[in-house]
Amino acid sequence: MRSDVIIETRDLARYYVLGGEVIKAVDGVSLKVYRGEYLSIVGPSGAGKTTLFNLIGGLDRPTRGKVIIDEVDISELDAYELAWLRCMKIGYIFQTFNLIPTLTALENVALPTIFAGVPRDEGMRKAKMLLKSVGLGDRLNHKPSELSAGQQQRVAIARAIVNDPDIILADEPTGNLDFQTGREIIKLLKELNRKRGVTVIAATHDLKMIEVSDRVVFMRDGRIERIERMGV
Amino acid sequence: MGCVQMDEGKITFRLSDAFRLGYDNVKRRFNRAFLNIAAIGLGIAFFSTLSLMDTIFRLNSQIRESGSMIEGYQYGLVLVSFVVCAISITNSMLIAVYERCREIGTMKCLGALDQHVLKLFLAESIILALLGGVLGFGTGFLALVLVCIFMGFRALSIPPSTLLLLLGKVTLLSLALSMLATIYPAYKAAKLDPVEALRYEV
Repeated sequence: MRSDVIIETRDLARYYVLGGEVIKAVDGVSLKVYRGEYLSIVGPSGAGKTTLFNLIGGLDRPTRGKVIIDEVDISELDAYELAWLRCMKIGYIFQTFNLIPTLTALENVALPTIFAGVPRDEGMRKAKMLLKSVGLGDRLNHKPSELSAGQQQRVAIARAIVNDPDIILADEPTGNLDFQTGREIIKLLKELNRKRGVTVIAATHDLKMIEVSDRVVFMRDGRIERIERMGV
Repeated sequence: MGCVQMDEGKITFRLSDAFRLGYDNVKRRFNRAFLNIAAIGLGIAFFSTLSLMDTIFRLNSQIRESGSMIEGYQYGLVLVSFVVCAISITNSMLIAVYERCREIGTMKCLGALDQHVLKLFLAESIILALLGGVLGFGTGFLALVLVCIFMGFRALSIPPSTLLLLLGKVTLLSLALSMLATIYPAYKAAKLDPVEALRYEV
């Protein structure tokens, strides 16, 4: 039986030493994320949102505490299993899009299917379908540099879901976009959340981007300040 | 071992994909790639010309009797040129790794393993080696023809089998050269910490 909790962090902490000083980027975060939920994490820059994401995605190792995804403590996974987790279970969306500049929109979206061992034709077909679904059916063979910021983020979203992950981690997905484009991206994320049942965790410092959330976590100085449930 | 149910496929990076992505990168960042190809090409050209001259000297009794021959130190110079060429490839590849830092970080974020990044860079190095080898062989042969015209030898007296053998030799040589020069940068790329790599501003 699958639990309702898809991600749980227990007293999670990550400290850095920077110039002889200990930086407590994340400092004792205990959080449960429910399957199919849209969770926003709000906080000023430096609140520890990105570090928290890196810990949840298994890109970074915690100083203390645990990350549990689908009842598995990810600190017990080896490099291969972590890569599998990032490839199959988690889709990443970044503030700076991070598309591969030498690849076309279509190839960018298909990239994670390569690591998933999906046959090339099938990967390309799926990538094409997803690009169409995010409204970029006429931009398949454009390079990232030939796309607007909003279009690039759409490509990144299509890439994030191409392997049908259970979780989307979106780190400031609207941070480099103007208000209107940002709203459209958030709308798209919410739509994916509702239609595909994918759990979305989106970090933002922009309070205008949280109205679609089921819950909002307010972070400051590496700790959770409070959690608010949004009225439906 | 963890207990993730890895029932939804395995993480992999097919050789064909490594070469396709590598080829894309060589094609779309051709300026840097060309410098590497030229570096390999020049070294190989030097070696090819010298080796072919040697053949001509051996085949031509008149020259042989006049005492002209390729001296050991000239092959020494070829060796030095290979070292210089390898260092320049390593240098250029290291810069490429830093340039592509975010790209590598992103790929790791999307599920690439260290060994996949290594594979990608080595595939690129093989592509560069093959292009450089062919270019070098062609240039070397051309140089030989020019030298022969200038000195009044008959370049075409070289048997095709010798040419083919040399082409095979220089291909292997440029592969070895390019891969040797790329191992360290490729290893560095593979070992990049994705958190650091994604933070890196170019």
